Amino acid sequence: MNEAQLREQIANYSRFPPRGNLNILSDTTEFMSIQSGDVLELGGAYYLVRGEEVEGRFGLDGEPKYWVKRAIDLADGSSKIIKLVFHEKFLMQLGTEQILCFRSPVKEARVLDKVRDDLRFMQGFNVLDSAGNHVRIIERIQGDRYYDLIHSFQMDHEVYFHDHFPIIFDKVFGCMEAINRLHRMGELHGDIRNDHILIERDTGSYRWIDFDYTYDWAESPYGVDLFGLGNILLFTAGKGFHNLPDLAACGPEGMRMRSCLEHGDLSLFFKHRIANLQKLFPYIPDSLNYVLLHFSQGARVFYEHTDELLQDLSACRLDIAAR
Amino acid sequence: MIELAGGIENKVLIAVDLSENSLKAVDYVGGMLRCHGTAEITLLTVIKEPSPDIVPDDQERGRMVEEARKETLALMEEAGARLTALGISEKHIRLKIQVCQKPMSVSDLILEEQQNAGYGTLVVGRRGVSKRQEFLFGSVSSKVVRDAKNCAVWVIE
Repeated sequence: MNEAQLREQIANYSRFPPRGNLNILSDTTEFMSIQSGDVLELGGAYYLVRGEEVEGRFGLDGEPKYWVKRAIDLADGSSKIIKLVFHEKFLMQLGTEQILCFRSPVKEARVLDKVRDDLRFMQGFNVLDSAGNHVRIIERIQGDRYYDLIHSFQMDHEVYFHDHFPIIFDKVFGCMEAINRLHRMGELHGDIRNDHILIERDTGSYRWIDFDYTYDWAESPYGVDLFGLGNILLFTAGKGFHNLPDLAACGPEGMRMRSCLEHGDLSLFFKHRIANLQKLFPYIPDSLNYVLLHFSQGARVFYEHTDELLQDLSACRLDIAAR
Repeated sequence: MIELAGGIENKVLIAVDLSENSLKAVDYVGGMLRCHGTAEITLLTVIKEPSPDIVPDDQERGRMVEEARKETLALMEEAGARLTALGISEKHIRLKIQVCQKPMSVSDLILEEQQNAGYGTLVVGRRGVSKRQEFLFGSVSSKVVRDAKNCAVWVIE
């Protein structure tokens, strides 16, 4: 498209067309200088930049992610997220443990390719810009974070567990099956969190996002992903996390429950987080509690593959469906 | 009584990562086998090539592996010297460095070496990782103990 055609498309799809000269870029190396109103030319297509994504953790305000642009595809007006190359190395906190984590555009590009048409994952494709950078063009999912869904339930736990948990558990099981598929392909998600599942508004589908993290491979390559899956399961079964200080704040009944808890009942990674939920909620089936305890201080055996976790969770499905 | 295939009972593979614990394993084997006139001891170290997702440039990865190989060889020679100081003849000591590439793991490579070369005894040091680290990263010694076949496994702590 020439500039006049681009301006026409911009006028069709944007309420706020840029003024002055259009800045058309095909080299995205200097992503900090790519501004709202710029046009990216990538793989023969044109994208109008509308700003940066901002991601906070767990409902908190975050910093702008300058390497992740919000954009409009000028071919059809669809919303896109454009992830540019940013090689970052940092220490990721996993509870009380830290691991060296790397942001890998190449890895995310490869995973996007492998999960094409699998709508349990965000969809997109990789294109090389004029400087050879791996740019990922991702379809924006209109939806809410799983984290927010669970926090939206106001009823007490027993009502939640009987009325809502069976359906949600099924959905989460599906998410874990999706991760298992990744693992069987020799890939990792790399950043499994309960705010990296989006629930698509139109379809109600649960979809994984953001798989550009990787870490140095180890004897147990899936350990970090399994840590994340364990957290999601605990969060789901508990309708949020339950910590020792929370119990202390609940008066005599809370203190009584706290006195029944032992070191082995707590999370392996979060020293105040309760993993043995059956001690708080006796109606939690043994089969589910058994899985939760694999992520506790008292665990003697850990899951090494998602297959193993799913096998145990399959037994839970029958117990949960029977309620 | 189990009859071993010819000669494998004399072949010992010590997997070392050059940590203090693995050098304890070297010392232990040296002490145990100094009176055994025919034991053949191989010290094996595995160097992990960085993942292409973290170091995409082939040449850079190659350079990193070569650097690691040089450092490791010097330390391996020291470990070999510990065995000779304990009375194992130099002619019965071999040093081997292998490079591990994804998706193989260190334990996969150790077990493959044991199977391919027919070692009768496999020796590993136990690093004493925390439960959290074992959960996240696994343990070479635990995997070796679990998956080794047709050999004895000594775990030295």
